[in-house]
Amino acid sequence: MTVVPFDPELGAALSTIGEQLPPALTPEMIPIMREGVALAPVTDDDLRRGGRFTVEERTVPGLDGDPDITLLICRPVDGRATGCVYHTHGGGMVLGDRRTGVPEMLDWAERFSLVVVSVEYRLAPETPHPGPVNDCYAGLLWTAGHAEELGFDPDRLIVAGGSAGGGLAAALALMARDRKGPALLGQMLIYPMLDDRNDTPSAVQMAGLGVWDRTANSTGWGALLGDAAGGPDVSPYAAPARAEDLSNLPPAFIDVGSAETFRDEDVAYASRIWQAGGRAELHVWPGAFHGFDSMVPSAALSQDAREARVRWLNRLFNQ
Amino acid sequence: MKDLAVRLAALDADASAAVRVIAYFDGLVEAGAGLQSIVRGAAVLAGCPARLDDPARRVHIRVLPDGVASPSLSPPSTLAGPSLSASGLAEPSPALSGVAEPSPALSGDERWPSVRAGSATLSLERPGPPGPVDQMVLERAAGAARTVLDRTRGRASATDEIALIELLIDADAPPDARQRAARHLALPADAPAHVVVLLSGRVRVTAAVAAPHPPHQGPTRPEAGSSRSQSSRLQSSRLQSSRAESSRAEPPGNDRAGIGPAVPILDLPASYRAARTALRFTAAGTDDDPGDPVIRYEDLGALAALATIPDPGAVPDVRVLEHAAATAPWLLSTLHAVSTTISLRAAAARLRLHHSTLQDRVAHAEHLLGWSVREPHGLLRTQLALALSRLHRTPLDGATHPA
Repeated sequence: MTVVPFDPELGAALSTIGEQLPPALTPEMIPIMREGVALAPVTDDDLRRGGRFTVEERTVPGLDGDPDITLLICRPVDGRATGCVYHTHGGGMVLGDRRTGVPEMLDWAERFSLVVVSVEYRLAPETPHPGPVNDCYAGLLWTAGHAEELGFDPDRLIVAGGSAGGGLAAALALMARDRKGPALLGQMLIYPMLDDRNDTPSAVQMAGLGVWDRTANSTGWGALLGDAAGGPDVSPYAAPARAEDLSNLPPAFIDVGSAETFRDEDVAYASRIWQAGGRAELHVWPGAFHGFDSMVPSAALSQDAREARVRWLNRLFNQ
Repeated sequence: MKDLAVRLAALDADASAAVRVIAYFDGLVEAGAGLQSIVRGAAVLAGCPARLDDPARRVHIRVLPDGVASPSLSPPSTLAGPSLSASGLAEPSPALSGVAEPSPALSGDERWPSVRAGSATLSLERPGPPGPVDQMVLERAAGAARTVLDRTRGRASATDEIALIELLIDADAPPDARQRAARHLALPADAPAHVVVLLSGRVRVTAAVAAPHPPHQGPTRPEAGSSRSQSSRLQSSRLQSSRAESSRAEPPGNDRAGIGPAVPILDLPASYRAARTALRFTAAGTDDDPGDPVIRYEDLGALAALATIPDPGAVPDVRVLEHAAATAPWLLSTLHAVSTTISLRAAAARLRLHHSTLQDRVAHAEHLLGWSVREPHGLLRTQLALALSRLHRTPLDGATHPA
């Protein structure tokens, strides 16, 4: 199958990225990747932003007797927050921690006066489904229940995440709907990892190319679901693309690159939300590979993608 | 994922850094990236603002080290930047350099490291000499920018250039084709241009730089017949145009040139006709053929009407003049000096003759010609005869061709 060409700027940067992060990730590589430099370390100073945020970590109960979980909580120092972004980090279900991806959340928090809560969920394969998503849901319940203490309006709570974190955020929206959990103002799904079947045309088309190809995706889903991955009985809370009902969900923002594994499953998710009478905004960035905006933040397409997210948040929080 | 910008910004001046820089810009070119992407690459890799300025093509791009494009002050008119044309005739004269040089606020600071990319300049906004990686970034980015400029903004080959100039001076060619030709030759769209016709037959079109036009100055006057003075004449003529790309600039040499008036692009056929007329009034600037090797049509005034005479060699005064010149080799240079200076004393100084020697020659000349050279009516006859004689020597029937 003919491949989608990469955006020129992103493609030129890919040769450097590829040295650190090959497209295909196999299970044996997980320990190496966890040790390595693929994920940008985020320091306390990065989080405090010159004193504009207070940073604390809270240990809160896990779901239904699960072990306690840690929440990273960043609150704007000046004035009361207007809302909260509850963040589930990316890393293919196997990598990353509660700080991964938080800097962009802080960009939004500065702009819209938000509290940022980022959850340290247990990773696969050590913790298979439903452990990770249950940790995330437990943290969401605690956050919504402590809105007053954290200083935000409980009606202005969104979930957000990128990649595996986007899949987890989508799953949280499903769980909150199904379990009569916290009311969510929106779900920000950044190139979300939604479908364990891993067989869309884009997954096949971009195999061996870019970032997080079909092999890497198979590694991630295999870690989370074991042999059940791609089979008949996968929970929508593990793989939201499996949900049969996408109605009555909070407004969704979905973005994805046209040159990545997740393109077709993410476009399909947006389409199915519309078909179910829901609200979704979909951006497909031409020639973008997975994680393009975080790996090449200077590229024109990365700037545009970040701006599109901010514009959606602006409509969500300021209208 | 580790931020690429951080990683690339921390590049050391080692071999792997060089390989990455080269691979990055090669990748951009292969993928057909645009100019802003290239300037962005330079800014991100060098870790400082980078800019690309090409006044002739109206390209002004500036990008900050985080990749954000920043508004670039663009020159409001050709006054502000160097005028670069497809085929330049001369470097701006020193007196004009203040006009022709880019203003620091608009296109850079001389302290910034920069590299030429064709008619464009790529700069890093960082004072001091560039480090090894900076230099690598500059060179690779400039090479990539030149590729893109040539592909997208048009860069005519030498052969194309001849055809394009032919198009520009052809009144029968469709206007849009002539406008397109002007763009391909990198002529500013809304600034006037001159046609310059050389005696060798070559035709050039050069962008005019707006500059004060001294109204009192007539055709420039040769001090001597040396080629050195001719080329300096060319430079100091009010052509004031067109610093060509260094790689394409041809030295004016000793060629005589007629210069048409500065006109809008679509009026260039008229400028071409005028330049051909002006060329006929030029002279070699030697003792045998005294006169100005470069003539601007606009300076001819009513003299231009003489060019319509079918056979200037048949005019009786011209016959007399040419016959006299054959017997007295000093005659033409003497008459030229006398008719273009305000006194015999000045003419003697010009000719480096003793005053009394010149008086003797003038008397001899008046005898040969049969009219007075010094009283006003005779002076006019002399000047007309000299002008008609030049027209006779330079019939310009043969086709001139662009070059």
